[in-house]
Amino acid sequence: MVSLLFYLYLSIILFLIGLFGFVFRRNLIILLASVEIMMNALIIFFASISHFRHDATGYIIVFFIIAMAAAEAAVGLSLVVGLYKRLKNIYTEELNLFRG
Amino acid sequence: MTGNDLAFFYLALMMILSSLFTVVSRNPVHAILSLLVLVLHQAFMLYLLGSEFLTAVQIIVYAGAVVVLFLFVVYLINLSAEQRFRVFVKKTSLFMIFFLLFVFFFFKNFGLILALNPQLQSLLPIDSSANHLKMLARYLFMEYLFQFELIGIILLVVVLGSVFLLRKLKEEKSG
Repeated sequence: MVSLLFYLYLSIILFLIGLFGFVFRRNLIILLASVEIMMNALIIFFASISHFRHDATGYIIVFFIIAMAAAEAAVGLSLVVGLYKRLKNIYTEELNLFRG
Repeated sequence: MTGNDLAFFYLALMMILSSLFTVVSRNPVHAILSLLVLVLHQAFMLYLLGSEFLTAVQIIVYAGAVVVLFLFVVYLINLSAEQRFRVFVKKTSLFMIFFLLFVFFFFKNFGLILALNPQLQSLLPIDSSANHLKMLARYLFMEYLFQFELIGIILLVVVLGSVFLLRKLKEEKSG
């Protein structure tokens, strides 16, 4: 009964929730967590297409997505910690260093 | 309705609820813990999609490394005194334009995915009688070997870069 469309709609809903969090939240750590939610939506997308079409390419891409997500989290969180060390602030609206 | 369908609906409901709670939660620790709930449910959804190896990778890498890294940073940056301020950005109108543009193009192009040709020949066919892990390993190390090595280089650069970003700037402090 559960077809490919159910998985695609689930991945779209998760992606839009992550996009909402990325656009509207103030906290930089939650912004990175929203990026992780979007990556989870992509993982469901590729794995479901791979499962329903009997093609292993999607599983390989999921493997690469997980590796890239780990790399992205490490770099992003080290940037957040560096920002907090210099400015004592991680809220997006108050990071106006370049304002004239 | 079979057991697989019930499992899918339970996992989908829990994933949507936990990701919503991650986005709207005021306390960052609660947000990251509900991200952990999302990742674990997603791991079992990968099992439902027929890949037990990716379930293991998801639990080890995501739940074991990424979410714990997030928790460490939340504990390192102590912002508990500022929780009483607002959660979302103030000037929402400009952001709302971007968000709605994204949503518009997303749904405008969704038909392209649905129009996938089902008769298309599969690139790397799955032999359901063979071992799943053996099949994935063969494809990963024969068809995608260059990309696999590239991932190794990227992870090396990430290790060096995250140390380099957090180094002490001694000359900046003295001067």
